[in-house]
Amino acid sequence: MTFQTLFAASANHIYIGNTLWYLIVFVILLLLVKHYAWGPVSDMMEKRRQKVINDLDVAADNRKKAEVLANEREAALKNSRQEATQIISEAKVSAQKTSSQIVADANKNATSIHEKAKADAAQAKADALDEARSQVADLSVAIAEKVIAKNLSATDQKDLVDQFIKGLNK
Amino acid sequence: MEQPFVFNFLGLNFDLAGMIGSTLMAAVILFVCIWLSRKVEMKPNKKQNVLEYLLDFTDNIVKDNVSDPDAQKHLSLYAFVLFLFIWFMNQLGLFMEIKVGDFMFVKSPTADPVTTMSFAMMTLLLSFTFGIQKFGTGGYWRNYAEPVSFLFPINMIEEVTNFLTLSLRLYGNIYAGEVLLTLIGNRLAPSFGITTMVLAAPLAMIWQGFSVFIGSIQAYVFVTLSMVYVGKKVTKE
Repeated sequence: MTFQTLFAASANHIYIGNTLWYLIVFVILLLLVKHYAWGPVSDMMEKRRQKVINDLDVAADNRKKAEVLANEREAALKNSRQEATQIISEAKVSAQKTSSQIVADANKNATSIHEKAKADAAQAKADALDEARSQVADLSVAIAEKVIAKNLSATDQKDLVDQFIKGLNK
Repeated sequence: MEQPFVFNFLGLNFDLAGMIGSTLMAAVILFVCIWLSRKVEMKPNKKQNVLEYLLDFTDNIVKDNVSDPDAQKHLSLYAFVLFLFIWFMNQLGLFMEIKVGDFMFVKSPTADPVTTMSFAMMTLLLSFTFGIQKFGTGGYWRNYAEPVSFLFPINMIEEVTNFLTLSLRLYGNIYAGEVLLTLIGNRLAPSFGITTMVLAAPLAMIWQGFSVFIGSIQAYVFVTLSMVYVGKKVTKE
């Protein structure tokens, strides 16, 4: 081993060996830092970057999904509102129809009832008149019978018969 | 003037100050990194946040200057460690300078052109590697003749100036900071007894704070320019 220590009297030495030493130290430092610090930290930074990208993607996806859902819901709401309006208007129309029908029916009924009542009344009047007439006839006959039976003398009877016969002749 | 403690080993000259400083700072960086990344979770804790902030910072330097996504992935670690290493080495000399006799043992390794040139060389070699990997050897050489062929010699010279400016900028800034700090501490403070010593203390404090700032800026600039050079090599002009 040629180990010589040169106490440099003049500073004219170019210590090229230092270059080699720096290179070795630097390379060793590079490897150790890579293994202990740079590697894990930059790995983690990359992983975090990926995670952030992933999270952003997922968030965008979720937002899109939510938007679609909200749209659907809104459309359904609109649809149901429309349906309700339609149902109400239909019901209104049918109710109108039914009510006018009922009124018409009632009118018709009332008219027919009125008519019948009129007819009945006429009939009753006619019947009553007939009856009255026949009773009046019977009564007059009976009265006549009674009057005749009491007061009719033979001459009177003869007059009557004559009159009757005269009537027949006419 | 202080002198570097240089010894010869296997025919190569070594400077002990640079070796001690860089090794010490490498150990500190490793310790800090392991301490900060002890528990790595999906929901980051405070320590992890610090580390992630740093990593984001250097990653942004890489992404701003290198458009090739493949190279980005490889350069992320390099930029992270390079930034930390240079930053820590820049700060070392501000609070610790150990001198034994005339020889320097601990100071900022980056206040030494050999150190900064080593790192500049490392970066440039890396950029060559990336360029050749991307375009193949032929395509790599052809890129020097872009956009017009007579620019080839100028582009070649640019490699050399890149190397020099990258290394000497860092060296100059840190060295000047240390020289001024030494001047304040060693020359100004004892010059007129107790009065100057009292006056020199806040001055040294201000300059130290400023040097921390300079050291951070220079580490940032060094990493940024490194990435610019690598980025230039992997993109077609």
